[in-house]
Amino acid sequence: MLFNSYPFIFLFIPLTLAGFFLLGRGSREWALRWLIFASLCFYAWWRPINVLIIAPSIVVNFFLARTLQRLGREKRQRQARWVLIAGIAFNVLFLGYFKYANFLTGVTNDVFGTSFVLERIILPLGLSFITFQKIAFLVDVHSGRIEEFTLQDYCLFVLFFPQLIAGPIVHYREMMPQFHRASARFDSENIAVGLTLFMFGLFKKVVIADWIAPSVSALFAHASSGARMSLLISWMAALGFTFQIYFDFSGYTDMALGLGRFFGIKFPPNFNSPLRATNIIDFWLRWHMTLTRFLTAYIYNPLSLWATRRRAAKGLRPFGGRNTTLGGFIQVLMLPTLLTMFVSGFWHGAGYLFILWGLLHGVYITINHAWRMLAARRFSDRRQYERFMKPIGFVMTFLSVVAGMVLFRAPTIATATNILRGLVGLNGIALPDSLLGHVGRFSGSFARLNTLELGPDVFKTLVMGILASGFVALMLPNTLQILSVFEPALGVKPASDRVQSPVRRLAAVMARIAWQPSVAWAIVISIVAAIGMYHLGGNSEFLYWQF
Amino acid sequence: MLVDRSRLSEEDILAALTRVLRDLLLDDSIVLTMTTRRDEVRDWDSLVYISFIVGVESEFGVKFGVAEVESFENVGAIVRRTKALLASS
Repeated sequence: MLFNSYPFIFLFIPLTLAGFFLLGRGSREWALRWLIFASLCFYAWWRPINVLIIAPSIVVNFFLARTLQRLGREKRQRQARWVLIAGIAFNVLFLGYFKYANFLTGVTNDVFGTSFVLERIILPLGLSFITFQKIAFLVDVHSGRIEEFTLQDYCLFVLFFPQLIAGPIVHYREMMPQFHRASARFDSENIAVGLTLFMFGLFKKVVIADWIAPSVSALFAHASSGARMSLLISWMAALGFTFQIYFDFSGYTDMALGLGRFFGIKFPPNFNSPLRATNIIDFWLRWHMTLTRFLTAYIYNPLSLWATRRRAAKGLRPFGGRNTTLGGFIQVLMLPTLLTMFVSGFWHGAGYLFILWGLLHGVYITINHAWRMLAARRFSDRRQYERFMKPIGFVMTFLSVVAGMVLFRAPTIATATNILRGLVGLNGIALPDSLLGHVGRFSGSFARLNTLELGPDVFKTLVMGILASGFVALMLPNTLQILSVFEPALGVKPASDRVQSPVRRLAAVMARIAWQPSVAWAIVISIVAAIGMYHLGGNSEFLYWQF
Repeated sequence: MLVDRSRLSEEDILAALTRVLRDLLLDDSIVLTMTTRRDEVRDWDSLVYISFIVGVESEFGVKFGVAEVESFENVGAIVRRTKALLASS
């Protein structure tokens, strides 16, 4: 069931909330059990068989966790370690079968010239997200950070429908205390804040992302057909997709935060105006924040820690500060970063282009760290350096992200290459008639771009879409900022410097936009909701649901 | 070593932690307190953090758990954990 569908908004949500509050009058436990039942219905709606696929994995993980807990209490560390390794392997293989079997068969055929055929395996919805969350749970139980849990707690943690399909990827220790404290009673503030989040998210998804999506598809189809992608349309394809996925995922995240809030549950922040980042490390601390948190904690840190300890054991000083050697840089930073981003790419999708995209970001991050170490510390005046470097960093980060998005979206390597060549002008420059008329005597230097060939209104929609979404993404305060007084996500508080916009005076005005439970805001949100509802009905899946 | 490390006070450990971080970031103006969080110190990113942790490990001859490293909510948590590890060693 899609968040942006009639049955979800007008049937599932009202029924689930009504049941939750009614049962909550009697006992919180029954309200929570109802929530598990509702989440199972939500999951089964798509393909009922999916429930039968993930249920065994939930049961196995629960017993693995119980075993870990018991071994921990009995101080049998060695056995606990093996159970943990077996548990992680089970989850990775489980995901691997559904997500990667087809791809790996293809790779085998590519490499060895074989022709194995495997029936197409359908990936159960959200399995990638569920898998990461279960691995984090096992690690937390093993390390003693989770002491008590029941089957009911565990099911609620894994199945809670607002974050079931595409995150935020949460930790047990930040969620369960909230469920145990939940009043399970109707609370007007929670409903008002939740509705505001949900409607903002719905608007971003169905009005902005879905508006650009068909035109982006048309341009990528054009590129796949073998047509040479000239400069202008390459940029429109890359920018168009960047904003499409931005509003798709930002919209999804807002809706998830809002849905959780209906039940009095707050998720960690997951999306915080990433395109305003002034370096690529900052970008990953703002885009899919809970994935970055997961990868850092469970892949990057252990790898880097292992390498750093190995160096320490050899008598080498910890890397950094006075001790920055190339060997150290490669061992403790570059290799762990590349490996982590490789996993990130491969996790997003079973395909060569996803792997390339992950590695590309690994390279970006490595360069960013190297720059920080080599160049940034040579500037004595930090404030002057930042004033000078921030705008440059912003532009470079933005362009790097946009170029990366081509790999993320393109169906084949040939299509990606076609667009990437176009971005740097290797496929020539072609302008539409409307622009050719304005370049006067230079018009001879440009080819003519036949915009009709791309499909009706594709060109116009993308020009308007990119300008409008660029304005919203870069200039307007984001949802977390607008609602900051009401803690829309865990730990989000009002900040003093809320808008980091390039245009200061506009920024000062924007920073004053803050939601409050008032008639004026009720009218604004009603209008946002009405526009959103008007655009409902298409069967448009969230991009992140396919991962 | 002449000093009995299991008797080091939290202040002593905090001072050593400050020294380790100052060395790593080449910044003698850094002052750590028990409530300092990583995002409050400029440039204390994930890379420097790992080096810092291993620096503390070599300084005191202790070893933190991998999962633990991620969950220290502030400097105080690292100090307390170090003290506990020293006491049990």
